[in-house]
Amino acid sequence: MTLIRTLTPVIALALGLMAGAVAPAAAQSQGPLRITITDGVIEPLPFAVPMFVAENGAASEYAANITRVIAADLAGTGLFREIPAEAHISQVSSFDAPVSFPDWQAINAQALIVGAVSASGDQIVVKFRLFDVFSGQQMGEGLQFAGTPATWRRMAHKVSDAVYSRITGEGPYFDSRVVYVAESGPKNQRVKRLAVMDYDGANVAYLTDGASIVLAPRFSPTGNQILFTSYESGFPRIYLMDLGSMSVQALAQTEGNMTFAPRFAPDGRTVVFSLERGGNSDIYALDIGSGQIRQLTNSPSIETAPSFSPDGSQIVFESDRTGSQQLYVMPASGGEGQRISNGPGRYGTPVWSPQGDYIAFTKQNAGRFHIGVMRTDGSEERLLTASFLDEGPTWAPNGRVIMFTRESAGAGGQAALFSVDISGRNLRQIPTDGPASDPAWSPLLP
Amino acid sequence: MEKGQIISGIAHAGVILWVVLGDWLFRADTLPEMEVAEVSLMSSAEFDAMMAAAPPPAVEPVEPAAEPEAVEPPEPVQPEEPPPPAEEPPPVAPPEEPLPEELPQEAVPQPIETPEPVAPIAEIEQPIPVPLSDVKPRPRPVDRVAATPVESVDAPEVADQVIEEVADEPTEEAVIVEEQQEAAAPEEATTQIVTEAVETEEDAPQLEMTSSLRPRSRPAQVAEEPVEEEVAAAAETVEEPTEEPAEEVAEETATEDAVAAALAEALAEEAATEQAAADAPSDLPVGPPMTAGEQDALRVAVQQCWNVGALSMEALRTTVTVAVSVGQDGVPDAGSITLIDSNGESDTATRQAFEAARRAIIRCGARGFPLPPEKFEQWRNMELVFDPNGMRMR
Repeated sequence: MTLIRTLTPVIALALGLMAGAVAPAAAQSQGPLRITITDGVIEPLPFAVPMFVAENGAASEYAANITRVIAADLAGTGLFREIPAEAHISQVSSFDAPVSFPDWQAINAQALIVGAVSASGDQIVVKFRLFDVFSGQQMGEGLQFAGTPATWRRMAHKVSDAVYSRITGEGPYFDSRVVYVAESGPKNQRVKRLAVMDYDGANVAYLTDGASIVLAPRFSPTGNQILFTSYESGFPRIYLMDLGSMSVQALAQTEGNMTFAPRFAPDGRTVVFSLERGGNSDIYALDIGSGQIRQLTNSPSIETAPSFSPDGSQIVFESDRTGSQQLYVMPASGGEGQRISNGPGRYGTPVWSPQGDYIAFTKQNAGRFHIGVMRTDGSEERLLTASFLDEGPTWAPNGRVIMFTRESAGAGGQAALFSVDISGRNLRQIPTDGPASDPAWSPLLP
Repeated sequence: MEKGQIISGIAHAGVILWVVLGDWLFRADTLPEMEVAEVSLMSSAEFDAMMAAAPPPAVEPVEPAAEPEAVEPPEPVQPEEPPPPAEEPPPVAPPEEPLPEELPQEAVPQPIETPEPVAPIAEIEQPIPVPLSDVKPRPRPVDRVAATPVESVDAPEVADQVIEEVADEPTEEAVIVEEQQEAAAPEEATTQIVTEAVETEEDAPQLEMTSSLRPRSRPAQVAEEPVEEEVAAAAETVEEPTEEPAEEVAEETATEDAVAAALAEALAEEAATEQAAADAPSDLPVGPPMTAGEQDALRVAVQQCWNVGALSMEALRTTVTVAVSVGQDGVPDAGSITLIDSNGESDTATRQAFEAARRAIIRCGARGFPLPPEKFEQWRNMELVFDPNGMRMR
């Protein structure tokens, strides 16, 4: 037994060695090694944007300003991180000079934007190239924009849009505007004016004088008209403003009835809105050209906040027909609608994404307000924010960013505009001169 | 002498047998059975407490005066005794106070019964939360802390090692930096494939030297054919001149045959050398198969640079398979990175996903992937599948 015990490990070792010798031989298989990678990292992409080259003396100021706006645009998305100029090793002195990629690799810049600005008379020209630093290749073709000096910010946004789209694959949205309600004065005598600004809060312009309360402005699909609700007549009524002529026209004039929550159809010729009759609100469609009104819902409950799908075939709206506010989708021609919200709490102010894949909404549950998104069938609901009062989401032209109103609690609470990525990241406040609410994003400017 | 040798041999054999088998044959019949007694451990503090409690009975004669004296020693011991009462976490505070009072009382009348209280104390000691609960007053943790400084003497050694490693890396980096530049230059030159081929061929002889492990039959099989052809060709070229003067001068023919044979040999060697050079990659170290750990190391090395934060929603649904060639130093050839498969819904999404994958490979491979050199043949060509579906959150 002792001998056996002594030999057992030896035999086992020998067998193990034999198995070890055989296994590799059997396992040796030629062909490329194949590895599947499923876990990466999610972090801002480091980029460098050295100051654009001023090709003449008059362009130096524009070059500096445009460079800063581009950097702010990209970094503001939360998807990119700017490498400060102090860390740059290489200096770009000429737009056409060869890029020293090792210098940019050394500071871990993964994208490099090189540009130049020239100014002559009443025109400035901005051109740029985008490089993938680590592959040492140019990404896409270089582009050039020309415009008046007054439009230098738009040109910067155009450059940012091109870079953003080229790297992320998403649609652009920097060169866009936002109409909103600018508030001022004490809370019990708040003055509300329509205002429009760049998406980043710059270039604010006021559209109304604040003599009457205005609510819920909405851009037309072309961006040259605005629908809004005003108390000018003493009760809510919808109006149409032409931004070119600044003319205002009342729509759907029905004596003694309130009209509100207007929104354009994708074709720009139809407006859907809510009309209140005898305490009951239903959704109607107005043909702007003919002025004809068509009722889309007919329910004793309150139906409001309609929003078209991008293809114009469906409308999402909110209704309290089941006792609490929920979201429903119906054909653009009207009908009962199918409920899509099924979670706890109340849902309202649905807005269909420009991409057609999501619906943003306001949700109230357990004493908190949320901005959320869900698939058009109600699945994959995801709440992006939570606060004392969040409401009124609006989509960026690319359908990736949502802007909304956040109001702080308390007597001194004020409304402000916030934006958030539809992933829930990069929540940030939009700088405005004062309290602001009811944002509506324009389509991408031409 | 023979007898002496025989006796010596027998004696040695006997000794050897005794050494080998003695332990087995003359093993003690039975080992004394070990008596196992349960012993409870107690700390020195508790022992002191017990002893402090024990003396009083020894001072039996001094009945009146001894009691107050005996009470005094326990009092300083009291702070040390907290361990036992603290055994019960919740009632820590209550038992502490009564115990010191009870112990002297019990010890005084019944010195023999002192073991009894010791046993329960020992039982409760086992949990050893006692010292933990009294960590505050105890200096023990301080000792532990003091012990680590001793270990910290080792820490510098570790630090030295790290420094050494770091010191080694720079030298490697210096080399790698050059390689990076080489890798970057071909990309810009857009003639990287040619460069790769040239580089691999140039590296081949060196690799042969290091490998020389398994020439196997590969070079032989491939080399034989050209050798035969060359020999035949050489023979033909030699035969022609030999046929003419063949009948006249046999010696010359023999000489020419020898020359032809030598020539053929030389040609064969040349052909074999060329063939070996051509087949050099197959002679590179193969080694055992890549282990799961080695593959995981590579996976981790790549994924830490795979940044999908800036990818579009569509690109985040796109899985791309990327082929890449890697040098023996583990550094990927940027020019060899190609897209070989994708399930992208659009070219744009596929391009975004591929570019993110390419950045990951180049960035994290700049200093060389952690790959076993002896298995170079197995990882010199890779196919990396980048599947972001598990990371999609938007």
